This record gives sequence, C-alpha cells and structure tokens, in this order.
Amino acid sequence: MSAVASSARATPAIGWRDVALAVAPLVLALVVAGIVLAVAGHNPLEVYWLLLKESFGGVKRIAATVAASTPLILTGLATAVAFRSGVFNVGVEGCVLVGGLAAAYVGFTFVGLPATLLLPFALGAAVIAGTLWMLVPALLKARLDVDEVVTTLMLNFIAVSLTAWLVNGPLLAPGSANSATPMVVEAARLPRLMPPSTLNAGFLIAIALLVLYWLWGRGTALGLETRLAGLNPRFAIASGINVPMLIIKMMLLSGAIGGLAGGIQALGTVNRFVVGFSPGYGFTGIAVALLGRGSAIGILLAALLFGALATSGATIQLFSDVPIEIVNILQGTVMIFAVARFGWLLKNRQGGK
Amino acid sequence: MIDNIIHAAFIMTTPILLAALGGLVNRVAGLVNIGLDSMMLAGALVGLMVASQTGSWPAALVAAALVGGLLGLLMSLTVTRLQANEIIVGLGFNIAVAGLVRFFLKSWYGTSGTLSLPDVAMLPRIHIPVVADIPVLGAVFSDHDPLTWAAWLLVPATAWFLARTRLGLRLRAAGAAPQATRALGLNPLNLRDASTVFAGMMSGLAGAYLCIGVVGIFNEGITAGRGFLALAAFYFGRNRPWPTAIGALLFGLFDAIQIRLQGRGLPAELVQTLPYVMVIVILTLVAITLKRARNKGA
Repeated sequence: MSAVASSARATPAIGWRDVALAVAPLVLALVVAGIVLAVAGHNPLEVYWLLLKESFGGVKRIAATVAASTPLILTGLATAVAFRSGVFNVGVEGCVLVGGLAAAYVGFTFVGLPATLLLPFALGAAVIAGTLWMLVPALLKARLDVDEVVTTLMLNFIAVSLTAWLVNGPLLAPGSANSATPMVVEAARLPRLMPPSTLNAGFLIAIALLVLYWLWGRGTALGLETRLAGLNPRFAIASGINVPMLIIKMMLLSGAIGGLAGGIQALGTVNRFVVGFSPGYGFTGIAVALLGRGSAIGILLAALLFGALATSGATIQLFSDVPIEIVNILQGTVMIFAVARFGWLLKNRQGGK
Repeated sequence: MIDNIIHAAFIMTTPILLAALGGLVNRVAGLVNIGLDSMMLAGALVGLMVASQTGSWPAALVAAALVGGLLGLLMSLTVTRLQANEIIVGLGFNIAVAGLVRFFLKSWYGTSGTLSLPDVAMLPRIHIPVVADIPVLGAVFSDHDPLTWAAWLLVPATAWFLARTRLGLRLRAAGAAPQATRALGLNPLNLRDASTVFAGMMSGLAGAYLCIGVVGIFNEGITAGRGFLALAAFYFGRNRPWPTAIGALLFGLFDAIQIRLQGRGLPAELVQTLPYVMVIVILTLVAITLKRARNKGA
C-alpha cells in the first residue's frame, strides 16, 4: 500500500491515494447502512447486489438510473459552483422549486407558441427564477457579509411554503384538488430520448453544462479567480480580484443552474409542478458535489450513484421487504463521511512505516 | 378565542424554545447546529415508545434526552475530531436520521409514517386554581405541563449560566477564543462536545414534548421543521436567551394562528414563511447597523 502511495505521488495526475480518499466516504456509508440492514435481519450483500442489479442490470434500468441522475447532476453542479468560490450555498433546493414552478407556469400558460419558442422560453423562465431567488442572499453576503448559510437555508423553507401556496391557490389546476398546476402543453415538454423511460433531453443539457464547467475551470480567467477566492480570499483580494462581485456572480450562477434543474424536471419528467415536487434534489446535490470533490467527472459519477440509489431503492421495496429508506440512510452518511477528514489515520500509517 | 390562541401559542412555543436554548448554548460554544431537527425527531419516537412501555412520562423524557444527547455526541465528535464541516454534518444527520426513523418504523412496527401505541403516558397539566379563571393570565400561566414551565425557567437560568458561571464563561471562550481557552489549559473541543450533547438533549426533550405533550402519536413529519425554527429563533435572538425566547414565542404564535387559519380562506402557507423572512430581515438590519458603526469609527 505504501509503495503504491509513493509511486502515486511521483505522477502528478490522479493517484491511488486520491481514488481511495474519494471512495472512502461511500465505503464507510455502505458499512454503516450494512450494519443497519443486518440489525433489521437482512443480508447487506444481498441487498446491495439487488440494488446494483436494479440500477444497472439492463438497458431499461440504466435509462431509469440516468434519468434519475439528471436533476442531481445539475444540483450538484450548482452547489459545486458556489462551493468553489468559497460560498456556502445550501439554498439550491429553493431554486429547484421556484425554477420548476416558473417553467411549469410558462408551459401551461403560453400555449399558443410553437415548441421552438416555448421550450427555450420555459427553460429561460426557470433559469431567471432560480437566479433571482439567489439575488438577496448574494447581495447580503457580498455587500453586508450576512451569513449565506442561514439566509439560503431560510429561503428553502420560504420556497416550499410559497410554491405550496401558489399551487393551492392562484395556480391550482381548475377542477383539481391535489395541489398541482395544470399539465404543460406538449410543445413545452423536453423530448424523451428512450420512451417509455423518462430519460429526456434534459440529460444532454446537464452533460453539456458539465463539459462547460470542466473547460471553464481549467481555461478561463474567471475559473481561476473563483478558485483563488475560494481557497484564499485575502490573497485573491490582494491580487486585485473583486471578491464581492465574484461572490455575487457565482451565487447567481449557482441559482441559475439550480433553477434550470427544476425547469428540466418540470418539463422533462413531471410535466407540471406539484407540492412535493423535489424529494430534496438540492440537498442531494450537496452530497453529490462533496462526494464528487467539485470535479466535473466526480459530479457525474456521484450523481449517477445517487440516481441509481433512488431508482433501485424504489424497486427493491417491491421485490423484498427492505424499506426504501435505506437510500436516505446511505445518502446522509455519505454526506457526513465526505466532509470528515481521516487525515490522522493516514498520518498514523505513515508514522508506522 | 384570544385565550385559546394564547394557550396554543405557548404550547407550540415549548418545543421551539427547548431546542433553541440548546442550539444557543451550542452556538455560543462555537458550533452551529443544523441537526437539531434530527435529534428532535429521534427524541419524539423514543419518547413515545418509552411512554407507552413504562407508562411513565419522566422515564420517557429521560430516554428522549438520552437519545438526543447521544446523537449530539456523535455529531459533535464528527465535527470536532474528524474536522468535518458542521453545516454539512448537520444536514447529513437530518437526512440520515429521518431515513433511519422511517426504516425502523417499517422494519419494527410494520407501519409507514405514523406510529400509534397503547397506554401512552402523556405529560400532566398543572392547573392553577384562581389564576385559571382570569382572562389572558389564565391562558398564560395555567394548565401548562411541567416541560413548558421548565423551558421558560431555563431562559433566565441559561442567561445566568452563560454570564455568571465558570463553565458558562469557559463555553463562551471555547466559541469566541479557542486559542485562549487552550492557553488556560482547557480543551475547547471537549467544551464544544459538551455543548452539543446539551443541545441534543434539549432537542430530544422538544421532540418528546411533541409526542407525549401534544399529539400522543408519532408521525415522521411531527417536527415539521421545528429544529430549523429553533435555529431561526437563536439567530433572531442573536444568541441572547431572552430575545431568543421572544423569537420562539413569536414563532409559536404564528404556528397557533396558522393552525386556526386553515380552512378559512386565509393563506396558512404564507404565515408559515414569516419566521424565516423575519430571520433574514433581522440579520440584514444587524449587518447594516454594524456597517454604519464601522464606517463612523473609520
């Protein structure tokens, strides 16, 4: 192991140690959830094998997994964009909600427009709603140094209640009692890639944004500036970077991507907005960004992982008596372990050598 | 009508106030606890189970405080010893514990979401003979349970503890100046752990209150985000016990009004947003005042 580690240090690319550190939170979470499963009388290995089969066994299952990972790629990206510049935005969940509602509203209101106009218009509305939702915390953080964790967290609850009020009152579908807007018209829906799966063109948008994020992080001045501001704000200020302006930009960008995540979910999968629209996409996005360590490929893999858990969790409940909540336990523990530093463990090992 | 609302407001305040005082002490010692809601949820479930098994409400409260404190300890160790980010760990605890509770309900009791048990020992109500008949005063002081009284007595107690006792001073030092604490030969991390255990115990009690003080059954959504309302309360009160208690009372009042608004054509959902809006407004006003003061000084 130590030989592997030292050879990895010689090559500056991705070493085994990095891979091990990146996978460690997942392994630890699987161990914790495995203990829970074992205590409840299930065989953890059997359950995990079933989860794996249900998420990647066959084209249909893979399509379902990829479809479920689409909003998570976007919320993970939205979170990563903010984290990268040192802004602790935990408000992507709220952006997903207002973005989803805005897209659905355009999709069932402007029914006369052709698809070439209506679809971009609806997605644009989602982006704008998400951006505006982050405007207040962005300005407060940049201008008055108000703690963005608290403001964005509070805004999540405001978004939940506000959207619930809108779909129960002004925007409720006529003749409907179930807290939902009318369905969006066909022209506003994102094309399905592999019907009957809900996998839709939104996935391609998400991948395109991931590629842009990767290029942006390596090759542009703004990409470098955000990293500097995130790593060492005082150095960034000393180098002449306008950090408050940068914070505003990155929080708005984060909100825009979060809003888009909601818009894509509304126009690609749900086809309207309902209460309980997001089962916590924004919060899972935090886990995705952390587990993916902010890199484009890491975000993709982590989103696929949580997408797989979401789809397979729903089906194993049908085939076995394992409650779907095992997925939440895994998700929460992954989050916890992803930020825990096990540096002292490695240090001990090196000391022993 | 007014008496009803006042009485209900105090009942809805108790869980928020209990958790808020815990979170306040926690934050003063240097840890922002986003996981209060998870400890509340666990306390609610364990409180109900023990209240049904033993038929004794004090036993239920002790058990709820213990499970909350245990979660607090786990959370604190992750933050202080594994240097994990407190915000993420808090959110992770909320997700994982909510999952664990539902998993347990399904595996153990075979129910999803709601658990109703026989012979639950509810908290007694303390009736104060003469005062009870006086309008308003009766609603404020009479027919409350011991936990509500304890919560309000803890407000001055917390203020005194933080300002006047040795341990209170040390906790404040652990939050404000960890290096100075270390220089005195104290471990700020141990102090922080102790404060998180306290926050967990208070949240566990808050959860138990919801179960055996108010409804008598457990539901997976029983906390309804009250752990976050508690967070909002001590941010609103800027870590001072009395303003925090006033914040909690205000949120309890909104809660009581909101329940009465349901089905009357008035948007209860908008009333629900008020506590969160108020926190953002307060934080903004405080920041503006600070900035003005700084500009004047410069």
